[in-house]
Amino acid sequence: MKKRITSFFSRFQNADAAKTVIGIIFFILVIYPVVRMLLFIDAESLQNAIGHPSFIRGLSNSVIIATTATLITIVIAYALAWCLERVDMKGKGLFRVVLILPMLIPSISHGMGLIVLFGNNGIITNFLNLTTSIYGRWGVICGSIMYAFPVAFLMFADVLKYEDAAPYEAASILGIPKHRQLASISMPFLRKPLISIAFSVFTMIITDYGVPLMVGGNDITIPVIMYQEVIGQLNFPKGAVYGVVLLVPALIAFVVDILNKDHANSRYDTRSFVLIQKPATRAFAYTTCVVGSLLAVLPIFAFVCIGFAKKYPIDLSLTMANIQKTLNMGAIDYLLNSVIIAIGVSIIGTAVSFITAYLTARMKSQLSKFLHLISITSAAVPGIVLGLAYVIVFKGSFIYGTLVILIMVNVIHFIASPYLMMYNSMNKLNENLEAVGETLGIGRLRMIMDVFIPQVRSTIIEMVSYFFVNSMMTISAVSFLVTTRNKPIALMINQFEAQMQLECAAIVSLTILCVNLIIKGTLQIVAKRTSIRKYEVNQNDFQEAV
Amino acid sequence: MNQSYSKLEINHLNMTYGSKVILDDINFKVNAGEFLSVLGPSGCGKTSLLRILIGLAKPSGGTVMKDGVDITSAKPMERGMGIVFQNYALFENMTVLGNVEYALKVRKVDKASARETAMTMIKHMGLAEHIHKKPAELSGGQQQRVAIARTLVLNPDIILFDEPMSALDVATRLALRDELKDIQREFQTTMIYITHDQEEAFALSDRIMVMEEANIVQIDTPENIIQNPANDYVKSFVIDNIQRKINSLAKYMR
Repeated sequence: MKKRITSFFSRFQNADAAKTVIGIIFFILVIYPVVRMLLFIDAESLQNAIGHPSFIRGLSNSVIIATTATLITIVIAYALAWCLERVDMKGKGLFRVVLILPMLIPSISHGMGLIVLFGNNGIITNFLNLTTSIYGRWGVICGSIMYAFPVAFLMFADVLKYEDAAPYEAASILGIPKHRQLASISMPFLRKPLISIAFSVFTMIITDYGVPLMVGGNDITIPVIMYQEVIGQLNFPKGAVYGVVLLVPALIAFVVDILNKDHANSRYDTRSFVLIQKPATRAFAYTTCVVGSLLAVLPIFAFVCIGFAKKYPIDLSLTMANIQKTLNMGAIDYLLNSVIIAIGVSIIGTAVSFITAYLTARMKSQLSKFLHLISITSAAVPGIVLGLAYVIVFKGSFIYGTLVILIMVNVIHFIASPYLMMYNSMNKLNENLEAVGETLGIGRLRMIMDVFIPQVRSTIIEMVSYFFVNSMMTISAVSFLVTTRNKPIALMINQFEAQMQLECAAIVSLTILCVNLIIKGTLQIVAKRTSIRKYEVNQNDFQEAV
Repeated sequence: MNQSYSKLEINHLNMTYGSKVILDDINFKVNAGEFLSVLGPSGCGKTSLLRILIGLAKPSGGTVMKDGVDITSAKPMERGMGIVFQNYALFENMTVLGNVEYALKVRKVDKASARETAMTMIKHMGLAEHIHKKPAELSGGQQQRVAIARTLVLNPDIILFDEPMSALDVATRLALRDELKDIQREFQTTMIYITHDQEEAFALSDRIMVMEEANIVQIDTPENIIQNPANDYVKSFVIDNIQRKINSLAKYMR
């Protein structure tokens, strides 16, 4: 009997031990490197960095660009999400796919797309005989919108999908006019999600170096200065100062997001909206979606134009020579690196997120809260900052220059979102499942394999997809960590940009897009097979309710 | 089974959580084949008591004896008890058959006889036509029957119920009450039934245990509780509430 009591307790201690171990790993891989980076800053580099005239210019550019781009992104993203969630029209599925295509290519590709389209010799510049230059603030703003739009769009679509129609119906019955409904129902409902979306878009834009590096021209931003200091001059202490500057908005966004979390869980009993069928609204929505979709695929169109033309804009005849040229520069090896990294990140990232989410959501204790917080902390560290911190900590170690360090940094960089997806799914499963397992004599591991994993299958697929696509296209956390041995294909774009070989950069962007499309598409088909079954079930539920 | 022991005997059971007393020196006995309801408002400690009986929670003090054996520290699966939860907690990814035979399979019962035992139980519970359906395709009442079948297939001699009817509509509740009594008669199981519904407790039970704030206030047959309520609490919480229900209908019945 004594033995049994001991085993009863040791089981709980094991869970706490696992939580502590994972928590320590997160600490070592997230907080420790950032702290080391902070300690790297000395008075001299601080003065050098902040005293430099480009700092104030860069900072004001960064803030102006990020603020403007965030505001515009939010308006466009909300408009498109509203059209797709509230209006009855055809082709929604296609619009939804096309509108998120920009999310599958690196930010730097968006900058490049703008150059190809609107640059001095750009496709549209020549076509319309434009004289204005895309280089500078407005170019960065446009590119940033392209880059951040899909993320904001998906977030708004999710918010609108779960909004409850009941208050609007009640208001209409009470005779409250539409504009008053907007002010008294829509705005209060949107406030919290809007704050979260605004902060994540702002952080995404202000910490990105890809777009401004391409089209910034003389309007330099903080991430570009940081990139040039670290890559060009290997000045790590100075880079660290800029890293701290970029850490500030990300940290604020992180804290705001945590404080802003909606604890309401009534969203499952919501009444869904009746889709608007008014011809005028439909025409407006359709036009908006078509224009939005065209803009979204414009850069991809541009890549095809210059990638497959002999010498744009002089000779437009179709050729495969640029592919050959890109291959000759080692594209196959780099692509292989990227795919290995993406697969590694998907497997390890998904496994770690799953285990952590199980521990925090299904084996709740005081330690769970702590583990939950530390496992999402990496969301507060911009990729480029995490990359610099890793260089400082791991340079000279045996993993430096290998694919392992890139897999590690990407897992940490991207883990917060997939972890939260799994945490939410786990929380939705019946709270008594473990108790049932215990009383029926089914062990925890058996329950996980036979009951939990099958029920969160679609979330697992979503997580794998997220890790893969992001690892494939990221240029942020990996940029400072690569050597010629472990370089991923996305960073070839930086290299081609420096050599002004835009046609090769276009081929690389298209390659990344294709690989991501194939993986995302395949995983979605697999997930659909799960959700079709779910749909049938819901149909039955519905019939029974009727 | 030794006749000189009670099926279940609870002695000086205590439970505290921090400074809060959840259960305060609980003592009672349950006879074999008895249907005992534990009646009380939410927060009175009835669910904690249930979790201690099945072994999901550990008491701060006291003992749980089953057939004269101390099972206070035994694992849930070793107690020969089953439990049906409020929301059933069925395995949503498995069919009715899968749900019922899963525990047998895990316990290394050979495949063919596990299947046979499960099939017999499913037919017995009137679920034969739903055997390949998933829980989400079943009505609330059917889901409850699956939950009971999943428990019964392991041959427990006590089944605990944690407010199993609260998610169901009135008509289903009334039908399931009769079914529950049938099942008890047929399988000769002792049943301990947690509820906050006075009417349900009176309709089902051989004896009712009324709880208030971590204590047992009265444990007796329904007749005795009606005739001799132990104190004002029992009178107001149990009898007056039932009287109100009767009155609200009686005025239409005259």
